[in-house]
Amino acid sequence: SPLTACTRCRLQYVPVKGDHVIGIVTGKVGDVFRLDVGGSEQASLSYLAFEGATKRNRPNVQVGDLIYGQFLVANKDMEPEMVCIDSSGRASGMGVIGQDGFLFKVSLGLIRKLLAPKCEIIQELSQLYPFELVLGMNGRIWVKAKTVQQTLIIVNILEACEYMTAEQRKQALAKLSGN
Amino acid sequence: MGGGVLAGSRETRNMAPPARYCVPGERLCSTEEASAGSGTYARHGSIFASLAGCLQRCAEGGGLPVVSVVRDADAQLLPGVGAVVTCKVCSINSRFAKVNILYVGSTPLKSTFRGTIRREDIRATEKDKVEVYKSFRPGDIVLAKVISLGDAQSNYLLSTAENELGVVVARSEAGVQMVPISWCEMQCPQTHTKDFRKVARVQPQFLQT
Repeated sequence: SPLTACTRCRLQYVPVKGDHVIGIVTGKVGDVFRLDVGGSEQASLSYLAFEGATKRNRPNVQVGDLIYGQFLVANKDMEPEMVCIDSSGRASGMGVIGQDGFLFKVSLGLIRKLLAPKCEIIQELSQLYPFELVLGMNGRIWVKAKTVQQTLIIVNILEACEYMTAEQRKQALAKLSGN
Repeated sequence: MGGGVLAGSRETRNMAPPARYCVPGERLCSTEEASAGSGTYARHGSIFASLAGCLQRCAEGGGLPVVSVVRDADAQLLPGVGAVVTCKVCSINSRFAKVNILYVGSTPLKSTFRGTIRREDIRATEKDKVEVYKSFRPGDIVLAKVISLGDAQSNYLLSTAENELGVVVARSEAGVQMVPISWCEMQCPQTHTKDFRKVARVQPQFLQT
């Protein structure tokens, strides 16, 4: 979707076809999971929309799990539909997000900044500690580092990146890596 | 409640004035005073109304007067199987579209009925490649044919699997009525954007220019 100031300033996420988002499983209705993606409606995710899933081999998804997937159908007239495979049937990083880690919300504009190629914030953070990161276009970020303290430090820095300038960020990171 | 008393001595009159309104379940009289007609039923020695409407008592020459409840002055036209109906799309889903039936043939209905057009009934050919989002949108006016009356809980089942059936009137995102350019596309005359719809090929004699 076009990158405009309106997209960045908007508070609530609007599902767009092709967007990769983090959803929270809220329930199972028949063969379909219901996901909360932060939009006005819940999204549906078929249990067959996972790599290697068949009618007998169902994916292990429980209520409360985090799912990283993309929108197959997203328009104003219908309920959004998500899948965890791409057009060729491969997972390519999508699916159930592992145990532990920390999920938090940031503004939609910060997500787009973080997803830009050669994002400085991510590069600087990766020199601090190794960590796993999942960015959802719906404003949700999942982080997991080796210890809980490291995870929380990264979470706090990412949340503060909304308001910090590049200088302030470099100073904060220098202080942390000095410790 | 307050039952209307049917005096046996008034058997010579055809209609007892004045007309009274009743609701379903209201006890009208006992089976000794009258016999149950349309819109009523007899239970435990009394006659109860089963419709909400106007109470009518007809005294017949011999035997008991007949009590009936009449809903409207004229009977409602019901869509029958095979009838072509005009409906408006309420909501769509990846599996079906829900519609409100407005007209049966050319007669408008006093109350709208709900109908469903399933994904496999939208087109006659290539049924599995049909996308409901590319055939109908909420607010479209559609010509469809009734294929089933459905049971108590379900709606009428409709089909648009013919050339003459499908979307007749549709509005674009700009709010302007779109012009059909093929059996599967319509174009907005203002913004020139094309939208996908399952367009009906309306017979030329029905078009008003």
